[in-house]
Amino acid sequence: MGIAFMGAGLGLGLAVIGAGLGIGKLAAGAAEAIGRQPSAAAQITGAVNLPLFLLEGVAILAEVFALLIVLLNRGA
Amino acid sequence: MLQPTEIQHAAEAAPEKFNAAETIIGHVANSGHDHPLIHLPPVMGIDLSVTKHVFMLWLVAAILFVAVTWLVRRYVRQDADRLVPSGAMNALEAMVEFIRDSIATPNVGRKWTRTWTPLLLTFFLFILGANVIGLIPIFDVLALLQHTVLHLPDESFLVRLIHGGTTATGNYNVTAALATITFLSIIVAGSRAHGFVQHWLNLAPGGLAWPLYIILIPIEIMGMFVRPFALTMRLAANMTGGHLALLAILSFVFIFTELFGHAIAGVSVGLVLSLPLAVGISALEIIVVLVQAYVFTLLTAVFIGMAIHAHH
Repeated sequence: MGIAFMGAGLGLGLAVIGAGLGIGKLAAGAAEAIGRQPSAAAQITGAVNLPLFLLEGVAILAEVFALLIVLLNRGA
Repeated sequence: MLQPTEIQHAAEAAPEKFNAAETIIGHVANSGHDHPLIHLPPVMGIDLSVTKHVFMLWLVAAILFVAVTWLVRRYVRQDADRLVPSGAMNALEAMVEFIRDSIATPNVGRKWTRTWTPLLLTFFLFILGANVIGLIPIFDVLALLQHTVLHLPDESFLVRLIHGGTTATGNYNVTAALATITFLSIIVAGSRAHGFVQHWLNLAPGGLAWPLYIILIPIEIMGMFVRPFALTMRLAANMTGGHLALLAILSFVFIFTELFGHAIAGVSVGLVLSLPLAVGISALEIIVVLVQAYVFTLLTAVFIGMAIHAHH
């Protein structure tokens, strides 16, 4: 009775919370590290880049699967 | 008494209700397979007809090929001692140096930079080009022209060109093809660096207790497939999502028009709410376009580097 939609929405929200927390911690760590040693700013940014986009990719994967749940259950 | 109400009902039923979901999905997805742009005969059971995303792929490839080849030829044709870039060649050179120095060399190592930089540059320029062309609403302008001025018949090329979205990389089949190239490049890179058999043996580093291998090898094999899959979905979902959001916001105009019955309601909502939001989202889309091209290239370089430097 629409429990698939509820599940998809809930799952997507949880995934976004996780991604937001993770990226926030990354940004906080990066900002603090640059504050301690401003000369290493380029290297720190470079080190942050990769985990940032991997984490964003996880959130996007969650969005894709949530959309899949919704679209596959529209007919049922 | 019956006739005027009948006519009234007929007049009210004539215009269709605005179906937001259908319109949005129609604008974002590929043109339908049943009415392709150019109908080609099936080869070995596969229908090779040209749909809109295939057409956009060819268009992007042609534009990039002509632009880059012309620029580089004009640059190389100078006197060999004093190669000075001018005009757009400056931008191209900056891009090439950026990818070579900050994406290729740190990940792949100096020895293999010349081997893998062309592939990374191709990825970056192609994905950037396909993404950016998706942002330019030239085909929507053509649709406006068609509906107001031209009125071409339904079967003509231009009318078929108008249906469907223009972001070729928003189609997960396109990004899956690019990710397949990454998958094969990882294998080729590892094989060239260590030999074909040794590349596969590098998946499970030596010197571990044997029960660990039972867990490690399936995880590594799964990882081998999950990474290109993630590349696929990341690029496709990012591109589609931005356009979806933009179209949903612009649909507010029509939804409010239908809700209140007057066009002025929709237009006012459009001017106050939709237009600023749409401008903001389009600006965000420009950033997302650049970032996604960069990320795809960076991750490809990282995976190739991981295959080459597997003995850490």
